[in-house]
Amino acid sequence: MNVKAFFGDALASALELGLGAPDDILRQVTADVLAHDLPRPLWARLLTACLGAPRVDAQLVVETIGVPNLCEHVPPQLIWAVLAEIAARQLGKAAEEIVPLVAAKPASGPVRVPLAPPPPETIAAPAPAAKPPAPAGPSIPAPSDKPLADLISELEAQDPPARGRAPTSQRFRQGNTGIGRPGAAQSRRPQAQASAPIASVVARGSSRRSGTEVSEAETETAVESADWRGKEIAVDDSQLVDWQADTQATDDDFSDLGGRKR
Amino acid sequence: MSSDQRQAWFARVLESGLENQIFNPTDVLAHATPDVLANHLPPELLSRVLSASLASGSMTPERVLETVTPVLMAQHLPHDVLWACIAAAVARAGINSVVS
Repeated sequence: MNVKAFFGDALASALELGLGAPDDILRQVTADVLAHDLPRPLWARLLTACLGAPRVDAQLVVETIGVPNLCEHVPPQLIWAVLAEIAARQLGKAAEEIVPLVAAKPASGPVRVPLAPPPPETIAAPAPAAKPPAPAGPSIPAPSDKPLADLISELEAQDPPARGRAPTSQRFRQGNTGIGRPGAAQSRRPQAQASAPIASVVARGSSRRSGTEVSEAETETAVESADWRGKEIAVDDSQLVDWQADTQATDDDFSDLGGRKR
Repeated sequence: MSSDQRQAWFARVLESGLENQIFNPTDVLAHATPDVLANHLPPELLSRVLSASLASGSMTPERVLETVTPVLMAQHLPHDVLWACIAAAVARAGINSVVS
């Protein structure tokens, strides 16, 4: 249900057919209403048009804003009031006779915009709240308000690290860049050939390849297939030997340069 | 204002209401009752409505509105009736209740 489009059609066709006039619109959609409901860019357009026009009237305002924009931004009750007034004129009746909405309006005037019904209620509500100021305490009356004190104590009791840091870990997930740590890259080398366990991945039913799924598939691959496990061990051993040899070599080198370092 | 313009407006409002699903053919026929249709539609239109229903085997509000289009409704039916349909639909949409 698109009420705004419906109102736009009805209002635009009424203007096109000459059944309604821009004055009918501005009688309901007053300048105050526009000031409250019209977006600033439309106001800028309206002001520009008014400044450049030799005469400012309702037609200029309505044509500049446009019926679709009016129906989009102005409260639908007011657009409906415009339509009801046009229809009432066409049916030869008073607007009150054909639309319960108009009859429900305050009886002050037929075309007054009901902009200020809410304020009396809101004004009446805060009045009782202003009674308690009897305690004329000099300093801050701290936890006299029980619910607030309880809330503060609860907030303080909560441990701050309860907030999850999952996004941080995801932020450092290395999907395909291969710029990770050298050790991790070497441990992943056999997993890079993970074309074999495609069946297990497919069996899981996920066709999308997000970073998380890739990592899970890789770990399963490494665990499940015995062939890979054997190869991994061989590679790890050789790497361990190489690393130690490298560290010794570097120690030797550092011993050579030790005097300079220290 | 000529009555042609008024008819055109009511026809357009009816069409737009149906297009935008403000009301449906059943809602329209709730106001444009068989009694109203029978008393205001010309004989040829009534004949077409009946013929279309006989051909399809049923008479539904949708089928009636396919024959008695919004233009024809605005042409033949009292505009009070059409407006009552429109106003009721808008009230159902909650526009009236917001104001009152």
